[in-house]
Amino acid sequence: MVTMLEMEAKTSAPAGSTPVIELRGLSKVFRGHLGIGSTTGVDGLDLSVYRGEIFGLLGPNGAGKTTTLKLMLGLLRPDRGEVGLLGGTPRDPSARARIGYLPENPYFYDYLTAEEFLDFYGRLHGMPADERRKRVRSTLKRVGLAGREDTPLRKCSKGMTQRVGLAQAIQHDPELVILDEPMSGLDPIGRREIRNIILSLREAGKTVFFSSHILQDVEMICDRVAFLERGRLHSVGQLSKMISETVRWVEVSIRGALPEALMDSCVNQDDDKSLIRVDRMDDLPDVLASLQETGAEILSVWTRRDTLEDLFVREMDRPAGSEEVNR
Amino acid sequence: MGRATFILLTALATLGASMSGARLERLSEERTASEELLYLPNGKHLKLASMGQAPLIADVLYLWAIQYYSNYQRVDRFKYVEHVFGDVIAELDPYAIDTYWLGAMILSVEAKDLEGALRLLEKGFANNPDSWLLPYMAGWECHQYGQYRRATTYFQKAAAVPGAPMTVRRVRAGMTHKTGDLRESLRLWQEVANDPEADDHSIKVARARIRDLKVKADITDLEYEIQRFRDRNGVPPASLEELLRRGYIRGVPLDPDGNEYEYDRETGAVSSGSRLLSES
Amino acid sequence: MTTHAATVVAVPPSRTVIVAIALNTFREAIRDRVLYLLLVFAMLLIGASRMMSMITVGNEEKLVKDMGLAAISVIGVLTAVFVGVSLVFKEIERRTVYTLLANPVRRWQFVVGKFVGLLVVLGMNLLLMSSGLIAIVLFRGESPWMLLPAVLMIFVELSIVTAFALLFSSLTNPMLAAVWTFASYVTGHLSWSLLLLKERMPEGGLGRPLCQFIYWILPNLDRLDIKAEVVNGTALPVDFIPLSVLYGFSYAAVILLLACAVFERKDFN
Repeated sequence: MVTMLEMEAKTSAPAGSTPVIELRGLSKVFRGHLGIGSTTGVDGLDLSVYRGEIFGLLGPNGAGKTTTLKLMLGLLRPDRGEVGLLGGTPRDPSARARIGYLPENPYFYDYLTAEEFLDFYGRLHGMPADERRKRVRSTLKRVGLAGREDTPLRKCSKGMTQRVGLAQAIQHDPELVILDEPMSGLDPIGRREIRNIILSLREAGKTVFFSSHILQDVEMICDRVAFLERGRLHSVGQLSKMISETVRWVEVSIRGALPEALMDSCVNQDDDKSLIRVDRMDDLPDVLASLQETGAEILSVWTRRDTLEDLFVREMDRPAGSEEVNR
Repeated sequence: MGRATFILLTALATLGASMSGARLERLSEERTASEELLYLPNGKHLKLASMGQAPLIADVLYLWAIQYYSNYQRVDRFKYVEHVFGDVIAELDPYAIDTYWLGAMILSVEAKDLEGALRLLEKGFANNPDSWLLPYMAGWECHQYGQYRRATTYFQKAAAVPGAPMTVRRVRAGMTHKTGDLRESLRLWQEVANDPEADDHSIKVARARIRDLKVKADITDLEYEIQRFRDRNGVPPASLEELLRRGYIRGVPLDPDGNEYEYDRETGAVSSGSRLLSES
Repeated sequence: MTTHAATVVAVPPSRTVIVAIALNTFREAIRDRVLYLLLVFAMLLIGASRMMSMITVGNEEKLVKDMGLAAISVIGVLTAVFVGVSLVFKEIERRTVYTLLANPVRRWQFVVGKFVGLLVVLGMNLLLMSSGLIAIVLFRGESPWMLLPAVLMIFVELSIVTAFALLFSSLTNPMLAAVWTFASYVTGHLSWSLLLLKERMPEGGLGRPLCQFIYWILPNLDRLDIKAEVVNGTALPVDFIPLSVLYGFSYAAVILLLACAVFERKDFN
């Protein structure tokens, strides 16, 4: 079993890349009312995000994902540690000019229309008027809101609001896009569209950093991920390397007579359909052979591999920092 | 904006505010008193607007009025005394005795308006029939202005109030024949102040009267002696001390604040800087 | 994939940012229903001059002007307090301020932008209300133009109150912020009592200089109040208006700078 450390060492930084985001020893503690009690926001975070990758920050609710993002953007001041953003600091407007941000569950100025809203943010980036017009329209089209420019924001559905928010984050063509739970509250179609937009951003050479607790989305698009729990990083690494490729078991679904030898392996029976579980990949050919003998009809063969969910649960069970992998 | 800019701007703004503020301060001292009280609505309506806090508003107005009327620079300030004290403050809080006697004192002593003072005191007495102090004071006001018969009527009223101390009753008795004698008034008010039966509040009022009377008495005495000196020597005395040295007076009196009386050699007048409405 | 000429990496000049935020603030403020409620109330007060004459001692014509100015002043202050406090609160509560500050916007630009936007709203308000008053005074056949300096002074006063509103709403929740802002207004009108207190303090010792110092620090709003002079037609010293404007805006600037400093260090949680 290859340890995390070794995996990370093998993959580490993509050659020649500079970190787009660099967190070093980042800590933030929130003091309770009247100085009584305190909650740890994040504790000793070390994290680097490189150019051109899609990075996912995972963790249960309350893990400190939003806190991390706010520290990255300069909305919070760290108690200890540093934040490097595109070579500068988050307090630097010139650094912030090159990023785009979408907060979690955003409200917007509901008295504006979508177009007016984007126009306002365009102004904040110093875009001249005609440039703004062009970009607003093309970005709206890109997020799938073409023709909806004049809809007042208060009349927008959740999905629309999310898309307008995303439009705001990308319309000025930033190098780095930071999204906090971008898929929350969206239906599957909406989620797919957002995923596609994120992928297209990577294709254009942009870096995307987002936090989520919806694992399927992360699994589908992230290059690297980090696990955060109670303010501490568990592990960071390339997704493909963290999820083992070994097959855990195979499920074979058949219709027809079940061979006697396989009776024990049967996990479910429904009319004439049966579901057989084969624990080892190597046993599969024999199983299939015996099925052929009985003349049963094979409906499907499905390999159950490690999912991100399995990994997540394993990570959360392990105490934080038990392996020094966070470099 | 950088630190330096911030500090610079703050310093500039503070400077601007301070300097213009100082200039404005000087300007405002020159501004004549505006007729602000003109728009004090009738007490009844103010009471309605006070939402149950009438006595509090009465207090605030009372304090303000005191300061207002203590400002000797204000010309023409007695125009609305009766309105302020009688119609507004008294309406808001009819049971505050101070309103009546203080307003009356201002009217009588400073504005020389006896009728106004009496009206105020009578209103107070109408609202507070168990206050012997108000008619007692009214009696003395009349006495000061030489209206002895009226004074007697008021003293009668005062004595008739159950709980009026012995002094009051005695005054009524001895009043009919007396002429306007400051010393006598002073003595009688002092009796009130020293009367063990009198309540603290009445004592406080008595002391205020005593203060005022003492100043008047001292001034009358001094001016009398100054005149005598003049008659005898052809020239007025150089100072009050000279009166003392030459034996015209037994001691140089001080005013109730402990300050010396001011003597103007040319006019022969003696005056006091002591303010009528200062705390005794 | 859309292609644009170049990535926009510009950090816009302060002017642009402040104007954009001010415009946005303005647009938001005029949608606040409280604004219209107060405006209507003011108009009612100004228009009810007939009724008012029953309860006063003194000149009826002067009463209309005086009550009108008083209404404008009070409603103006209420607007400054409530709309001022709620605007910042809404931004923070709805987290629109997060997106805003993630842009190349400096924190002080946000505060100043809001301030400017609010002043524009208040100015518009004052203009409307005073037009109403002027119309009424004209209708009664008198000259209303002397009222304008008083309205200007009310505006100056309001700019100080607004600055306080921004300061306090950066510090605490809207309820407390409104209370504190209102308290600063009341204190501003009672600061003269500190001078009186000073007189009663014994000479020497700390009492007097302390009173003087506190008097200097507090905003003196009462001095800016020329309603009585204006209504009585009393002449004002020539440099009164420019001095007062200088004082008012300088003081407001100090408070605003303070608000910027507070906002700069704020943690958004």
